Amino acid sequence: MTWELFAVFLGSSIRLATPLLLAGIGEMVSERAGVLNMSIEGMMLMSAFAAAVGAWATGDPLVGLLIGIISVVPVSLLQAFLSNTLRANQIVSGIGINILVLGATTLAYREIFGARSRAEIPGLAKVKPPLLGDIPGIGNAVFQQVWLLYAGIALIAITALVLRYTSLGLAIHAAGAEPKAVDKSGLSVTRIRYGCVLFAGFMASLAGAFLSIGDIHTFTEGMTRGAGYLAIASVIFGKWRIGGTTLACLLFGAATALQFQLPALGISVPNALLIMLPYLLALLAVGGLVGRQMAPATLGEPYRR
Amino acid sequence: MTAANQGRPLPAAPRFSLRPALLVPVLAVAFAAGVGLLLIAMIGVSVPKAIAAFVEGAFGSPFALAASLNRSSVFALVGFGFVLANRANLTNVGGEGQIAVGGIAATAVALYGHVSGLPLGLAFILPTLAAVIAGALWGGFAAVLKVKSGTNEVISTLLLSFIGIWLLYWSVQSPLLLRKPMTSSATLPESLEIPEATQLPLLTGDYSFPVHIGLPLTLVLAIVVGVILSRTILGFRLRVVGLNPVAANRAGISYAKTVIFALSTAGAFGGLAGALMLLGEQYTLKDGFSSGYGFDGLVAGLLSRGSIPGVIAASLLFGFMRSGGINMEMVAAVPTALVAVIQGLIVITLAGAALFIEKWEGQ
Repeated sequence: MTWELFAVFLGSSIRLATPLLLAGIGEMVSERAGVLNMSIEGMMLMSAFAAAVGAWATGDPLVGLLIGIISVVPVSLLQAFLSNTLRANQIVSGIGINILVLGATTLAYREIFGARSRAEIPGLAKVKPPLLGDIPGIGNAVFQQVWLLYAGIALIAITALVLRYTSLGLAIHAAGAEPKAVDKSGLSVTRIRYGCVLFAGFMASLAGAFLSIGDIHTFTEGMTRGAGYLAIASVIFGKWRIGGTTLACLLFGAATALQFQLPALGISVPNALLIMLPYLLALLAVGGLVGRQMAPATLGEPYRR
Repeated sequence: MTAANQGRPLPAAPRFSLRPALLVPVLAVAFAAGVGLLLIAMIGVSVPKAIAAFVEGAFGSPFALAASLNRSSVFALVGFGFVLANRANLTNVGGEGQIAVGGIAATAVALYGHVSGLPLGLAFILPTLAAVIAGALWGGFAAVLKVKSGTNEVISTLLLSFIGIWLLYWSVQSPLLLRKPMTSSATLPESLEIPEATQLPLLTGDYSFPVHIGLPLTLVLAIVVGVILSRTILGFRLRVVGLNPVAANRAGISYAKTVIFALSTAGAFGGLAGALMLLGEQYTLKDGFSSGYGFDGLVAGLLSRGSIPGVIAASLLFGFMRSGGINMEMVAAVPTALVAVIQGLIVITLAGAALFIEKWEGQ
């Protein structure tokens, strides 16, 4: 592999990892607090759709992004309400939300764009940071990326700091590990968990918008194709830690990037096998490499005072 | 979820009677259908016209009725598997992939297993068995991961679904696998049509009412699963493991064996569903073969709250809804995605109502 091709591979790996990373970190925070959101997939799809429609209708991708973020709020509130207030089975409610969002976005897409439209949708701008972007050979290929990617990295850094150094981070961790103790200390487990689900929804909305108006500038029906489930797998793979989750997402991104890279190198591997690769890696990851004791103690269990 | 059950006495196996557990699903379906009608009106289609198209497609002709019943059998099989595994507190969301690998195995044996000359119905029985085994392996793999490293079966069966779907895509794309011989560049990426001897016999032998033997088979299996769950030691073991794995182990019930049995049986039902779809209706394997039927079956299982008659009722509902929905799209231009909206609403409503049902029933 030549240096240029490697740089392109690296750049597209990072680009393809970004939606997983954004959604994965949000989901990690929520799982730390004890709530499993299978609905990450639906949240991403909702935002991918709303952001695309918003950008197309107003001609401004920023407005699209904003609409994408707002569109997920009701979805996350629904998930939070089901899993905290109604103490519903989190897996069942998440899958229900995913089916609903898939149906609703497909229906709305057909109504707005017609069955086979390829409407041009304005996308978010690409930027190149100074210094890094000027490295000859790799500056353009690796660092010329949609600004949302850099904003996302900053957000993730802030999240890491909050989780590690603030009382809020401690409360989130405790809400998942020892909810009774949190309750006794006077904090509301329900409120913390609501907040974390909303945060997961916010991050998933950025991820979804990145897919439709950041990466490929179009919306297709059911375009997330299981990215939300990969994000959940990356949290498990990453042992509920920021660094681990990030590495897992980069690995999945690189596996996806191979689809486009290997043919360029003249290596012929069945396309289906390459599309399958991230899921296969995720399966191996959750199946073999992770011990069971790592998960937050009350993950998936509604809290009952 | 297991811990929440600990310390409570064993509840009685669910029975079929007029209780909240029955009333709430009916209300949920009515609510979701209401929203569906509202949406039809909102997208500017005449509601009576849409309903007429729906009824016509669901049971307006012998052919439509047969198509709906065949679909319902597929959903019911996946649903039975879900309920069986769920009795052990396992959630099999891998129906889609299990259908896909079942379809691959059935096609491979029907086309290249030299079975079409065999007597006594072996020509279609062997492909069906191959599909059952493939599905069982697919489900069993998730079970092994669960037992060996504690992998949550929801994630593993889901990921296995994606892998199964792409495996199917690969097998119809590659001429080295199941793709039919390429005679020109226009050769579609699909398998050859399976020989007539390997197709499932139709009940009436008449193509204007093409219900195949999958329907009676499904009914027999409904009874078998019902009896296993409520009347046998096996069903008891599933329930004990589901409620308290530690206590089960102390009582000499192997957690590992029970989990592997439960998930591979659920997978086998998914594989069988794939065989019915391929050998009974579609006859050629194509990309997108599983058609979301695995998720419909899953939803039927969820809706039933563990009761086999519940699975049958939900499967019939979805079978007719799917057929009606398809006709609604063709005749009245209402996208079939509407059916997904209705299904999603049903699942969410029921998930949210579970707490109330439990409280109500507990009194």
